[in-house]
Amino acid sequence: MTRYAQGRAPARVQAISLQSQARNRFIETFSLLLAAAFVLMAALLIAPKARAQSPTDVLTYLTTDRFPDTERALNEIGTSGLATAPQIVEALAANRLLFDAAARKLYFADESGALFDAATGAPAAGISPDDLKRVRLNNAVRRSLNAARGALTLMSPDPARRRAAAEAVFKSRDASALPLVESALEKESTPAIRKKLEEARAAIIAADASAPEARRLESLETLKERGDQDALGTLATIAAASEGRVKTSAEAGVAAIQSRLAMWRNVQNVWYGLSLGSVLLLAAIGLAITFGVMGVINMAHGEMVMLGAYTTFVVQEWARTNHPELMNYSLFIAIPLAFLVTGAVGIFIERVVIRFLYGRPLETLLATFGISLILQQAVRTIFGANNREVSAPAFMSGSFDFGALSIGYGRMWIIVFAMAVFAALLFVLRATSFGLRMRAVTQNRRMASSMGIDTNRIDALAFGLGSGIAGMAGVALSQIDNVSPNLGQSYIIDSFMVVVFGGVGNLWGTLLGALTLGVANKFLEPVAGAVLGKILLLVFIILFIQKRPRGLFALKGRAVEA
Amino acid sequence: MDHSVTTSLLYLDGVSVSFDGYKALRGLSLTLAPGEMRAIIGPNGAGKTTMMDVITGKTRPDEGDVLFGGTHDLTKLDEAQIAELGIGRKFQKPTVFESQSVDDNLLLALKAPRGALATLFGKPAPDTRLRIDQILETTRLKDHRHRMAADLSHGQKQWLEIGMLLAQDPKLLLVDEPVAGMTDAETAQTAELLRAIAVDHSVVVVEHDMTFVRDLGVKVTVLHEGAVLAEGPLDVVSADPRVIEVYLGR
Amino acid sequence: MNPATDRLIDTRGYIFLAVLSAAAVLVPILTLVIPDESAFAMPPYLVALFGKYLCFALLAVALDLVWGYCGILSLGHGAFFALGGYAMGMYLMRQIGTRGVYAHPVLPDFMVFLNWKELPVAWWGFQSFPYAMAMVLLIPGLLAFIFGWLAFRSRVTGVYLSIITQAMTYALMLAFFRNDMGFGGNNGLTDFKDLLGFNVQATETRVALFVASCIALGGGYLVARAVVTSKFGKVVIAIRDAESRTRFLGYRVETYKLAVFVLSAMMAGLAGALYVPQVGIINPGEFSPANSIEAVIWVAVGGRGTLVGAALGAFMVNWGKTFFTGALPEYWLFALGGLFVLVTLFMPKGVIGLIDQYKVRRASKKPTAEG
Ligand SMILES: Nc1ncnc2c1ncn2[C@@H]1O[C@H](COP(=O)(O)OP(=O)(O)O)[C@@H](O)[C@H]1O
Ligand SMILES: [Mg+2]
Repeated sequence: MTRYAQGRAPARVQAISLQSQARNRFIETFSLLLAAAFVLMAALLIAPKARAQSPTDVLTYLTTDRFPDTERALNEIGTSGLATAPQIVEALAANRLLFDAAARKLYFADESGALFDAATGAPAAGISPDDLKRVRLNNAVRRSLNAARGALTLMSPDPARRRAAAEAVFKSRDASALPLVESALEKESTPAIRKKLEEARAAIIAADASAPEARRLESLETLKERGDQDALGTLATIAAASEGRVKTSAEAGVAAIQSRLAMWRNVQNVWYGLSLGSVLLLAAIGLAITFGVMGVINMAHGEMVMLGAYTTFVVQEWARTNHPELMNYSLFIAIPLAFLVTGAVGIFIERVVIRFLYGRPLETLLATFGISLILQQAVRTIFGANNREVSAPAFMSGSFDFGALSIGYGRMWIIVFAMAVFAALLFVLRATSFGLRMRAVTQNRRMASSMGIDTNRIDALAFGLGSGIAGMAGVALSQIDNVSPNLGQSYIIDSFMVVVFGGVGNLWGTLLGALTLGVANKFLEPVAGAVLGKILLLVFIILFIQKRPRGLFALKGRAVEA
Repeated sequence: MDHSVTTSLLYLDGVSVSFDGYKALRGLSLTLAPGEMRAIIGPNGAGKTTMMDVITGKTRPDEGDVLFGGTHDLTKLDEAQIAELGIGRKFQKPTVFESQSVDDNLLLALKAPRGALATLFGKPAPDTRLRIDQILETTRLKDHRHRMAADLSHGQKQWLEIGMLLAQDPKLLLVDEPVAGMTDAETAQTAELLRAIAVDHSVVVVEHDMTFVRDLGVKVTVLHEGAVLAEGPLDVVSADPRVIEVYLGR
Repeated sequence: MNPATDRLIDTRGYIFLAVLSAAAVLVPILTLVIPDESAFAMPPYLVALFGKYLCFALLAVALDLVWGYCGILSLGHGAFFALGGYAMGMYLMRQIGTRGVYAHPVLPDFMVFLNWKELPVAWWGFQSFPYAMAMVLLIPGLLAFIFGWLAFRSRVTGVYLSIITQAMTYALMLAFFRNDMGFGGNNGLTDFKDLLGFNVQATETRVALFVASCIALGGGYLVARAVVTSKFGKVVIAIRDAESRTRFLGYRVETYKLAVFVLSAMMAGLAGALYVPQVGIINPGEFSPANSIEAVIWVAVGGRGTLVGAALGAFMVNWGKTFFTGALPEYWLFALGGLFVLVTLFMPKGVIGLIDQYKVRRASKKPTAEG
């Protein structure tokens, strides 16, 4: 620890001595840092009573009711070694830091209003808050307050907090935090956090006009390497504020990061597009199956998705009240259940309505639209018109970083789920006898029927399968969208477009159609805006069917033409 | 262009068609002289209907030439244009306009301007009634003229379709299995009718029914697996061992 | 060729036109002449309500022309209706002049609100009534032409076509929701003041609009009827029943479909134009795909391919809607949904079909009863 401080400090001193004010501040912080280091070490061994002088100074500054003093206290509190420093800072932030001007004593209140002595952290008995004044804040103080909070947490035992603190310092580029950062670096053993600290140090030094040019340039490199939006902001500010080589280097860094970020933006668009595409895939694939096999468009398909989402909601409510321990796993119950529920509804609809409309696809379209209205209203009557809350299980929340990309677990699992469903379906169609029959009916119904395939049964099962998949799509959608009676409506037209674009009778067409539309959507959105992007896509599809009236992967043959 | 090409009414050369890899026609070549009637036979799946699809523009060949009247490249035209050139077709499965009367079916087929403006504002030609009456007479549908086409028997539908073909007054008639599902008497009548038509039209008839083909008494082309297997008078062709094998050997 | 069915106006048509004429004569008398206290007096709100139904009936006739006769199930006819409505709405907006909230002589309120300085080109000329009326027909007609040309040429048919028409109206809805489209965004066009100098709220104007709607419906019916009874109409029916067979007869199916589609779109546009002053507003919600499908069910309920049935269906369903939304709002969607299912399952020819069936049964019963 001392090696570090001694090794680096002389160079600093030389460089900075030109500016006396800065030097003063440096020496001040340097001594404070040393003191803090001592205290930290001592704190581990000795009772927290033994202190250097500064803690009391800090406390005193906070009782003067003058903003500059408060600021000063905050600038020093991080290194003061005061055991109650975190509480003091937090209390100040929450407007619960009080002082007795006459006695020059500081108190903080907790959330319930109980008072504590700020110097010791012991409950302060017999003191009435009415006799005390509040330590006031202004903008300058608030800034110092934030820096202090950051500094205090740099040494927190909780790695997540240390990391956040390092980030906070990086963003503030507060030069006064430098010594703290340096000392934190000494202690830090987690590589990822070390990196953050180094970046924070680099940001401070690079932004510091009084730092030696060589060090600034070196720091700029670190910032460049970091290469994210924040680094870009920092570099841009530095470029604007400085001259000479630092300016050129910072500008080069800005350019480099911008092109890197542009690349990552594209990656992100693709990622979001895939995520949207996989949702579309889930919603559209059942539609493509029923359309392929029976030549009918199921306008109630969106409502099957909606029913799947409500199944998820019901399962979750059941788990919440009866088996809270299952809350995190309720999705695993909901997926098969949604498949069964919507599949059964689908088969019911097929048996009761659609079967009688065979060979009249347009009438089927109308009848299923009627069914969609009934289902919507039924759900509205049962569950109410408002959105229902479906919470995400732990494994679906949060995110991880991939390059400059933050990948949400929710989206990721939905993509995985969609692909799994797709693969399973592919397997069912390719490798089971039901799949074989279904494909036979898709390609030539009359022939299949004369070969002894019970086309009625296949129709019902295909419809059930398509609806069941829609139900599973609903489970996935419940994680990213509001569960409301209109849920299905918002996806149905997009699903139609996927089917029109991808063609029917070939699952790969649906996959390609869904992913293409998803990705295209996300690339158009930033350029044209969400709504215009969507309009453009619709226009594109209308034009696309010019070239391929039956989609990307069209079924050919006489049976289709008839 | 070869001399024989320009004189033949219909000229197919090296026509190939494949569906998803399955070759329905493999280098089919065929010529038809003006005024000629030709019977085409061949086992199921030989490509007879596909050949008609190619001629009428329903299916585009992958390769090969299809010329009509020596000058018109049929592979470049669409169905309506080909029909306007004077090629009429009767489908294997009778297709008439079910929800319209027999009269209206014939009116629709009758040779007249086909444009939307003409049908919307134009007056029917003065001899329209007369020509329809004639066709009704020929096809023995006079008593059924106000009936919906959907209500006709299968044989009557076949005849109505032939009547529509007559009404079109095409230069070339393509007739796909006209006697399928007909009684013997009806078959004989149909053969007679076709012979009458062939007096001033070129006709291509596809048929399985050998007695019917014999009744027609014209040159026969045997198709097999998308190509011509044999050609000539029926007696000669049916003595050809390859033809016998194709028909009986499997 | 068939004297019984080829007449321009058949028995059904006479009844229909007679009812329309009676309404056009009686409603003004009942509203304007008969004193308000009388039991026979018709309140103005009813005039507007029935006027609205008449516009829906015209939309239904237009839809029947393409669906019932040409087999094109358009799920986007609401778009043509709405475009006609917007054209009329733009005329009405320009008539407001300085009476708007911001009292701008040229710009409608919403443009002033959006800080626009100039009238967008699309709005030019709409202060003129003849120009606006021309646009009422031309804009839907043009859209139908472009869309139909693209779709029919590439032989998109059946369910595919229906879905694409739905996408069309959906795209338009999204577009019209945008403020920068310049058509009032979310709120649409409203707060109309007068039409050809007459206050749109006045009872007299409402009655006049009602009569105009009667005439438009009657006229639309006659035009549609003239089309379907001509040889052109027979070709169109042939296309519906056997499209490719019609091609092999030498008819250019695309041209025929396009002609019917454009004509129908213009009729729908006219219906929308008459609708807007009677309800006092036009907004992007009119483009919603559900509206278009609802119009289809009017036709199905009445009986498609009959024209009169389409108008009848529009009246019945909308009357039912008015009733339900007033008395049992919860159940309207159940009723409408059930209607879709029941009509397609049990009444493929609609109410007119039922009447015909009943007539046939009566006719076949009579001789046996007598003999
Ligand atoms: N549109 C098509 N798609 C796929 N295969 C076809 C199509 N048309 C014809 N075929 C195939 O081409 C072959 C020839 O058919 P076709 O011309 O109908 O025979 P024919 O009329 O001589 O009985 C058959 O195997 C048939 O299945
Ligand atoms: Mg055949």
